Amino acid sequence: MTKLGRTLRIRTLRSRLTAALVVGALIGVIAAGALAQSAGKSALIGKLEGPEVVTDSAKFPKTLKEAPQLAALVKAGKLPPVSERVGQDPLVIKPLHEIGKYGGTWRGGFTGPADFWNGYRCCSGPDHLMFWDYTGDKVMPNLARGLEMQDGGRAWLLHLRRGMKWSDGKPFTADDFVFWFEDIYRNKDLIPTPSAAMAINGKQGVIEKVDTHTVRFKFPEPYFMLPDVLAGSTDLGGQWSAYRGMGGFAPAHYLKQFHPKYVGEAELDRKVKEAKFDSWVRMFLAKNDWALNPELPVLSPWKTMTPINTPTWTLERNPYSVFVDTAGNQLPYIDRVVLTLAENLEVINLRAIAGEYDFQQRHIELGKLPVFIENQARGGYKVYLDPGDYGGDMIIKFNLNYDADPEIAKWFNTADFRRALALGIDRDQINETFWLGTGTPSSVVPADSNKYNPGPQYRKMWATLDVKKANEMLDQIGLAKKDAQGYRLRSDGKGRLRIEIMTLGGQFVQFTQIAEMIREQWKKIGIDLTVQEVERSLALKRTAANEQQLGAWNNDGSEHLFTFPLHVFPFELAAVASSGPLYVKWFHSAGAQGKEPEPRMRELMEKWKKAFGVPEKERIQLGKDIWKIAAEDVFIIGVIGMGPASMGVRVVKNNMGNIPSRQYNSPDGKTPGISRPATFFYKK
Amino acid sequence: MLAYIGRRAVLAIFTVWAISVLAFVIIQLPPGDYVTSYIAQMASMGSVVTDEEAQNLRIQYGLGQPIYVQYLKWMRLIAQGNFGMSMEWRRPVTEVIGERLWLTVVVSVAALTLTWVLALPIGIYSAVRQYSAGDYLATFVGFIGLAVPNFLLALVLLYLGFVLFNAHIGGLFSPEFSDAPWSGARVWDLLKHLPIPAVILGLAGTAQQIRIMRANLLDELRKPYVVTARSKGLPESRVITKYPVRVALNPFASTIGYTLPYIVSGSIIVSLVLGLPTVGPLLLKALIAQDMFLAGTIVLLLGVMTVIGTLVSDILLVWIDPRIRLEET
Amino acid sequence: MAEQGPIPAADATKQRIFVASQWQLTWWRFRKHRVAVASALVVAGFYLAVLGADFLAYADPDASEAQRSLMPPQRVYWFDGWRFRPHVYAVKGVRDQQSFRRVYRADPDQKIPIRFFAEGFEYRFLGVIPTTRHLIGVDGGLDATKTIFLLGTDVQGRDLWSRLMYGTRISLTIGLFGVTVSLLLGVVLGGISGFYGGMIDTVIQRTIEILRSIPTIPLWMGLAAALPREWSVLQVYFAITIIISLLGWTELARVVRGRFLSMREEDFVVSARLVGCTQMRTIFVHMVPSFMSHIIAATTLALPAMIISETALSFLGLGLRPPAISWGVLLQHAQNVQTVAISPWLMLPAVPVIIAVMAFNFLGDGLRDAADPYT
Repeated sequence: MTKLGRTLRIRTLRSRLTAALVVGALIGVIAAGALAQSAGKSALIGKLEGPEVVTDSAKFPKTLKEAPQLAALVKAGKLPPVSERVGQDPLVIKPLHEIGKYGGTWRGGFTGPADFWNGYRCCSGPDHLMFWDYTGDKVMPNLARGLEMQDGGRAWLLHLRRGMKWSDGKPFTADDFVFWFEDIYRNKDLIPTPSAAMAINGKQGVIEKVDTHTVRFKFPEPYFMLPDVLAGSTDLGGQWSAYRGMGGFAPAHYLKQFHPKYVGEAELDRKVKEAKFDSWVRMFLAKNDWALNPELPVLSPWKTMTPINTPTWTLERNPYSVFVDTAGNQLPYIDRVVLTLAENLEVINLRAIAGEYDFQQRHIELGKLPVFIENQARGGYKVYLDPGDYGGDMIIKFNLNYDADPEIAKWFNTADFRRALALGIDRDQINETFWLGTGTPSSVVPADSNKYNPGPQYRKMWATLDVKKANEMLDQIGLAKKDAQGYRLRSDGKGRLRIEIMTLGGQFVQFTQIAEMIREQWKKIGIDLTVQEVERSLALKRTAANEQQLGAWNNDGSEHLFTFPLHVFPFELAAVASSGPLYVKWFHSAGAQGKEPEPRMRELMEKWKKAFGVPEKERIQLGKDIWKIAAEDVFIIGVIGMGPASMGVRVVKNNMGNIPSRQYNSPDGKTPGISRPATFFYKK
Repeated sequence: MLAYIGRRAVLAIFTVWAISVLAFVIIQLPPGDYVTSYIAQMASMGSVVTDEEAQNLRIQYGLGQPIYVQYLKWMRLIAQGNFGMSMEWRRPVTEVIGERLWLTVVVSVAALTLTWVLALPIGIYSAVRQYSAGDYLATFVGFIGLAVPNFLLALVLLYLGFVLFNAHIGGLFSPEFSDAPWSGARVWDLLKHLPIPAVILGLAGTAQQIRIMRANLLDELRKPYVVTARSKGLPESRVITKYPVRVALNPFASTIGYTLPYIVSGSIIVSLVLGLPTVGPLLLKALIAQDMFLAGTIVLLLGVMTVIGTLVSDILLVWIDPRIRLEET
Repeated sequence: MAEQGPIPAADATKQRIFVASQWQLTWWRFRKHRVAVASALVVAGFYLAVLGADFLAYADPDASEAQRSLMPPQRVYWFDGWRFRPHVYAVKGVRDQQSFRRVYRADPDQKIPIRFFAEGFEYRFLGVIPTTRHLIGVDGGLDATKTIFLLGTDVQGRDLWSRLMYGTRISLTIGLFGVTVSLLLGVVLGGISGFYGGMIDTVIQRTIEILRSIPTIPLWMGLAAALPREWSVLQVYFAITIIISLLGWTELARVVRGRFLSMREEDFVVSARLVGCTQMRTIFVHMVPSFMSHIIAATTLALPAMIISETALSFLGLGLRPPAISWGVLLQHAQNVQTVAISPWLMLPAVPVIIAVMAFNFLGDGLRDAADPYT
């Protein structure tokens, strides 16, 4: 060999060796990193904890105390004494760590008049009649003292708290339920469609007054799910849905003045014109809006003072709050909540980074986690992560009803096609890049601790990276032919198989970028994916018009399978991503409209409907079966689950007390509502 | 002269009407309407709006009717002095805009002042010392505002303000003052927040003004009377400032045309990044939500400002420069 | 003609000036403006980069790799001992579990030499010649995990330098389309307006005024949302640039109209008409060339406006969107707090934007000064 040849050979060898060493080192590091990850995550993820509702009346406090400014008003004769204001049956909450101190202003940020969830989550109590305990699992009495089942589940007696009052001092009684049911719910102008929450197997129930403090919900068939429905963020779950006319109860004494049944037409017209509304319906609903109307009587610990459509949304303590702690202090401890408007997400995050907010969970972006951590000392706060319990911080839905292209429709409805695509996603890459390693690669099933989880083997079912198997499966179902670039050809001979995914920009999760990554990954299994980012309303329109092929979204809330089925099977037309708009129609019209779903989907839907009318044990089994079907048939691909990307990053100032180290993160739990912010206080 | 003003005024009214129609059309262009946007917002927060609810909303807001009916309704409202209700804010449009309007004016005036303070000297220097190193340097500084993507610059300055000066992030007021009644302290707080927006917005406009100033002054400086003045022994500074600069200022009158709407709308993008409570971000949000009356009113307002501005600048020009007057008659 | 003897130097120069064509005069005046000349070179450099984008890039701009996410720019070492052997150190990255940042450590013992005209991914040079050669690269260059990262990587681990090359190509070519449309519309409509005057003029002027009164962003949003869904990202963007230029033509039209108005009464135009030239011929053969230089200047100045508009549109989410790569898209990825605080190299695409805009502006100003007959 020539000298040059030998030198070249040596050089090539050397550089090959170098390359091999580098690769080896990288692999070693990746492995070490993966090991370290599971240990390091826990630094920010604490132990699930939260305050408890005390139901044993023996443990109730004997005397009640109140905030100093309220005491001053009582002394001046402007307020009745606290025992009168709270009533004989206070809602007693044992604070998480200690009894708190009165005082302080809680500063936070919100993004505008559409951001009402912000206030409901932090400051509404929550004002559900029943509510979850801090694990998100058990239903406990909340605003109601108790719930009693009768007649095999066909009737439910709701016991109210004696002496409980609205925030303007008027009594909260069964009349408020009857008013809601008769005059709001049944008024076709206010509520054109009856709510599914008030129905079992499609048949509507009624609400009756038994006596001043007892209400009966009556249904034609056993409705075992009612406690969950009352506890969840449903149409019967408190005043958060009052802006749409829902809630289950409403302040009759206040709202009557805006209702045509109680006010003459001419008088009502005058009021409408004066308030510059278009119709009495608009005015009524605006007056019934917890976030918008400071005069609306409420039951929450804080009530709106300056409404959400101004630059500062302030809420102040409700002197008639029924919440007390175990020492008898009327809650809340914190006097006032001030949410300042920041119309731009970067600004909100920057302000949180700078420590301008005391407790902020909403709108905090996971991608900025390192910046938050970096500024903890400077800003005087601590960062917590609250991963959700749902299976998909990111999911991909197949539109099974897509019909514009029969070839694509055929493949979307072929289970093995869906499974193969699911196997073609490198979830570890996505987890590391976009979740900073804090998520869990997963199928759509919820967390292991969730009662409907079908079993640990379903976590990774069709949810691992197996390029070889995916290719085999796709070859076998009839997509074996490929073009020159390696993409699979359609079986109908019309060229390359191209599918399209629709994503939304500007969300908590970077759907578009993740979809781009998946596009690269699917090249290896021969699938040509186009990523289309669209505006929200455009997404809605196209989905409802059955123009969407694949849709990216998340399935938060699905851990409460029966109160939040939106992302388990096609349940609503107005969805940003849908598994089948025609199936939605079929489901809601009991078969009259739309298209009948394929057998497995149909089985899933039927089980879901059935669960509402059976006792808990059977329901849990049905829930597990539903998730089994979902995991096996992959109507929806799970990508990353149980991550903190959706409102799971929490920034809390160090001087706040009774802060849990980890919360149950769920829309049903109105996190942080589930941690009872009324018990938060300022230590100094 | 009066005839000229009269003619222009009539044309202006016609233009405003045309703008109102165009504004309405543009806002309706994206598919869907406020209700679709509202449903989408609800959906992305996990709330559900049924088909019937949506229909109901549409009827209540009058969105189901054809465009020209909605347009006429809007015109009728305007005739009564009512610009309609903002669906997103659920307040009268006049209230929503009014709150922000004067703040917008403050920011814009600050930016414009900065622009002219920078542009005039640079323009003069650049014309007088054409092709010199100083000319290049000055023009460079003037143009940098045009070249730097100012949304990025705004974010960087926000962050640096926090890191270096512990400044309050964005906005025009610190939280304690945002709703407080007026006081000396509040004014001072506002002034403390003005520099960053004023600098970013002000720099952006300097390039254009420098060009105009420079070009006009160059034109003037070559005119015979300047040579005469110089040869007669007038000091150079007098030569430049006594006449040429004043004449070169004339075209600034013509810039009023597009300055006026700017004062009212401010910059949309920079205001959004800085979180300023001005009209710009309001317009953007209204457009995205398809909040018809709010967006339409703001666009109409801007259009009206432009027309008024053009009218004013045309009248000013006629008044200042008799030659134009002669040309027109 | 009898001999006149050697012409003295000064007279010779003057003679040249008298007989020089308009273009030569413009060129001489332009040369005096040194910064403008330099800018012209810079602009030429940019367009060379546009042609050779694939050659200058060395990594697949779409290749993501989570283990390379947010790598800072690598330092290039030019000398290995005494020899000129540019190389970089191999880098290992791991996510720090305390700060949640990715931390990269260079290993001085692993030297990766940089090769010039190295082998890399395949592309077609000038769209025609298939080749795998790139300006720089490393051995084993087809494997994206072993290449170098001159400007670091983005959140998906994609090489910023290569993406910047492709972004340059799209950003600089797309503006040309919009400007061409503006140019055509402006010259035609402005010319008609100025030449015919009267009613046509008034109508066109009023239209211009109405168009200028509409704020651009609502118009962009409305039109962007109204575009059909089947169009690819690039097609949508072409449509939008044309839409932007539909507004931009108004400025040019006013200039052209002004010129036409003043030129209408000039002797050479009158004589052309008297001689019997058709109106078309009069306009295009006689009038247009006389203000061609102004048009060129105005066009050159319109380009930077297009570049800035593109970045603004991307910021609003209306312009080019991923997976397309442009300066606007790159800047949009950088428009967040974590970039400014932790990965500032992602803001580097702002540099070519600034340079390009400045260069075009100086160039345009220089051209306009040169075209100005009064200098």
